[in-house]
Amino acid sequence: MNPAWTQLPERGNSTALRAMGWIALHIGRPVGRALLYPITLYFLLAATAARRGSQRYLGRILNREPRWQDSFRHIHCFAATLLDRIYLLAGQLDRFEIDLHNDQLILDQVASGQGCILLGSHLGSFEALRALGVTRHRLPLRILMNTRHNQGITRFFQTLNPELAQTIIPIGGPETLLQLRENVEQGFLVGLLGDRVAPGEKTVRCQFLGGEAAFPAGPLTLAALACCPVILFFGLYRGGNRYELHFERLADLIVLDRSQRQAQLGDWMQRYADRLAHYARLAPDNWFNFYDYWGEDAT
Amino acid sequence: MEALAPFELEVARLLVETLHLEGIAPEDIEPEAPLFGEGLGLDSIDALELALAIAKTYGFQLRSDDQQNRRIFASLRALSQHIAQRRIR
Repeated sequence: MNPAWTQLPERGNSTALRAMGWIALHIGRPVGRALLYPITLYFLLAATAARRGSQRYLGRILNREPRWQDSFRHIHCFAATLLDRIYLLAGQLDRFEIDLHNDQLILDQVASGQGCILLGSHLGSFEALRALGVTRHRLPLRILMNTRHNQGITRFFQTLNPELAQTIIPIGGPETLLQLRENVEQGFLVGLLGDRVAPGEKTVRCQFLGGEAAFPAGPLTLAALACCPVILFFGLYRGGNRYELHFERLADLIVLDRSQRQAQLGDWMQRYADRLAHYARLAPDNWFNFYDYWGEDAT
Repeated sequence: MEALAPFELEVARLLVETLHLEGIAPEDIEPEAPLFGEGLGLDSIDALELALAIAKTYGFQLRSDDQQNRRIFASLRALSQHIAQRRIR
């Protein structure tokens, strides 16, 4: 393997991203948003695997054969939230209309002093939550993130807002969950995204949009071991400058019996998958897992 | 194969019991083999469960910010040595 070759695409991406960041912050959101169209078109044509992932997903959620326009809209939605991420991280929250649903749940949890797991997903954007929660409400938030994947993008977003960067816990060695449990004990809201499985991670199988897919066993095992509540959150992008943050309680306490652990974890995670599907139906273009989610390519 | 020291065997039993490692006998764990990744193939969830079991059995907390975690979790032997040094029960 040639190391220079493997690094090329990433470097290109982060240069383009910095350029986009400059345009966004110095020229303005309308120009940035206009540029999303050629960018979307480029990815629609060039990113074959992502396009196939998009079509697979759209076929399930739309219940019909997806057209290329559907994937265009889908990728465009993703690009739009990436652009907005720049503004959200730069602290320009006033640009956005953020509708909160059931946010009392979070405020009560913080007031109780007890930490919890905030279980989110790659449906929509968690950035609105992070920006609003930390910048405006000073919520004690920590978010577990895979920073090794997309290092250039991560670095770029971190330079935009060092304060928010400190809320990120990188997925690291064996002590990662140990740290998260300590954070829960210290009263933090610990954010995890429950819809992607890291390589080598334990999984449970759940029904999702008419097919079976693998979900990570880690988040709810952590909740069980930390004896803390689990609150679901979904940050949907609704077009224009509108975002919606939804909060729901999944569990006050997850108790797992050793002998039936896998089955019980599966049941709990199925509830998460059902809510994920519910919100995906509300905002179909917000699904930002552009890969073979159901593992259909192998079969 | 190298035989385990008595305390290593005790920690190996705790490991197998806590993590329900099926088809692995405590005395079969290689003392110098990595516990995480290759070797026994444990992950971050296992590390947390193990830390909780160690706290319960030996009365001290493994901390995530311990600079020596890499070394402590490196093998059964390293873990056993660390527990032997830190245990209060």
